[in-house]
Amino acid sequence: MATAEPLLAVSDLHVRYGAVAALRGVSLRVDPGEFVAVVGPNGAGKSSLLLTIAGAVKPQAGTIEFRGAPIAGAALEAIVRRGIALVPEGRHIFGTLTVEENLRLGITVRADRRQAAADIEDSLATFPILGQRRRQPAGRLSGGEQQQLAIARALLSRPTLLMLDEPSLGLAPAIIDQVYGILAEVNARGVAILLVEQNAARALDAARRTYVLNAGLVRLDGTKDTLLGNAAFDAAYFGVEMAGAARP
Amino acid sequence: MINLAQHVVDTISVGGLYALTALGIGLIFGVMRLINFAHGELITAVGYALLLFHGWPLPLAMLGALLIAVVLALVMERVAFRPLRGADPETLLIASFAVSFFLQKLLALTVGARAKGIDFLPSLGEPIAVVGIRLQVLQLATILVVAGLLAGLSWFLGRTRAGLEMRAAAENFRMARLLGVRADRVIAVAFALSGVLAAAVAFLFVAQSGTLTPRMSLQLVVIAFVGTAIGGLGSLVGAAVGGFLVGAASVILQAVLPFELREFREAFAFGLVILVLLVRPQGLFPARGLKERV
Repeated sequence: MATAEPLLAVSDLHVRYGAVAALRGVSLRVDPGEFVAVVGPNGAGKSSLLLTIAGAVKPQAGTIEFRGAPIAGAALEAIVRRGIALVPEGRHIFGTLTVEENLRLGITVRADRRQAAADIEDSLATFPILGQRRRQPAGRLSGGEQQQLAIARALLSRPTLLMLDEPSLGLAPAIIDQVYGILAEVNARGVAILLVEQNAARALDAARRTYVLNAGLVRLDGTKDTLLGNAAFDAAYFGVEMAGAARP
Repeated sequence: MINLAQHVVDTISVGGLYALTALGIGLIFGVMRLINFAHGELITAVGYALLLFHGWPLPLAMLGALLIAVVLALVMERVAFRPLRGADPETLLIASFAVSFFLQKLLALTVGARAKGIDFLPSLGEPIAVVGIRLQVLQLATILVVAGLLAGLSWFLGRTRAGLEMRAAAENFRMARLLGVRADRVIAVAFALSGVLAAAVAFLFVAQSGTLTPRMSLQLVVIAFVGTAIGGLGSLVGAAVGGFLVGAASVILQAVLPFELREFREAFAFGLVILVLLVRPQGLFPARGLKERV
């Protein structure tokens, strides 16, 4: 394959729910510190891909290697301990718990409790809106604030790889800018990002490399420059089967 | 006036007993959507353990009985419910019936189905006069134990790390696991706590009734379950309040119904339950997490 040892290597991954195939042999990789996006229409298998990597869905076939070790089929709570954090679609903050309690759950996997407690204070300072509302039930936050909370909470596990499922869903454009600004900062600190988005324009802008997923298969991959203006991109995204569309 | 005060104390102590039972059921439902009818057998087991440890120093006998409840709860989870984790609530419910019947029949086979008398804490049966009102020591003890356990449980859930993880798991189990909360541990802690609650209920219940039968906890669990349904399944506050209300309602009906109708007070109590559920099918305090799943 490519140059250095990949951080995450997914190979020929198959996932099905009963009779419905969600992934039909997906392969992709994320290098250390890299920002990678996966775009594709609704139902392409994007969420299934992230949930399978995080251990919430068991694959029927294929391998997932993280830092050289196989993790496919491992338990959720074991995978986050290896350094993969997932911000799932819909954010899934704990609405009945306070903002601070949500963040305290983010340090569940940390052994260095004292430093972790200091990190919670740091993230309350980094995200001022969370600091102002630390004792309020998280369910009262707006969508954008909940997204910040979900990201802050995921980062508290100190992941090497942060995975996000549709972080822009349901947010106003100005708030989406803010969320992507946060992701760029996180990535600049060396955390690799695997981002899933329906909003292809945003994802292409933010990511170094992008995969186009459709109907459970990777149809195309490349950088923004190679993908945009490439006739194969639209075909891959919108699912039109075209000769020569498989790889640029 | 004095009569009224006695009724109030009676209502609070009976309601409190049902509240503790309902909390034991509610804790387990919160973390794994299991309605554990075998919770009653934990209570029964404590009763028989007290008989088994008869002659031991009292604190030791009670500690031994409590440990039996906790261990039995953990074994129940490991053997019967862990393999079914993630199954439909109906499957889990039927599995809990199976565990309940199995333990009942096991007791009937080994110890016998006939009632056994037990003289546990007889001094609690004595009356005392508090500001001119004649009360049973047991009623006061019940109120104190219930208040102490409610305070202890809310401290545990509100102030400890394990309590925080349990609340998170009750609201959204998968997200809690994605953050690293260990499913096996949260569920084991919930079962252990339900064992402690069952032991407390058993101490008070056995001291009051003085008899043991393999089916002695059936009424407690059925009424406590109804209480959790009224309170709103999945909400602990709801379970405690619902359990209390159903227990209290039966005592109040006993006091206010005309003599000829008292025999049918359960019919009236469950009639009230149906009314509540007709008006509020989600219960009085519906759990947030549950609503989101629907």
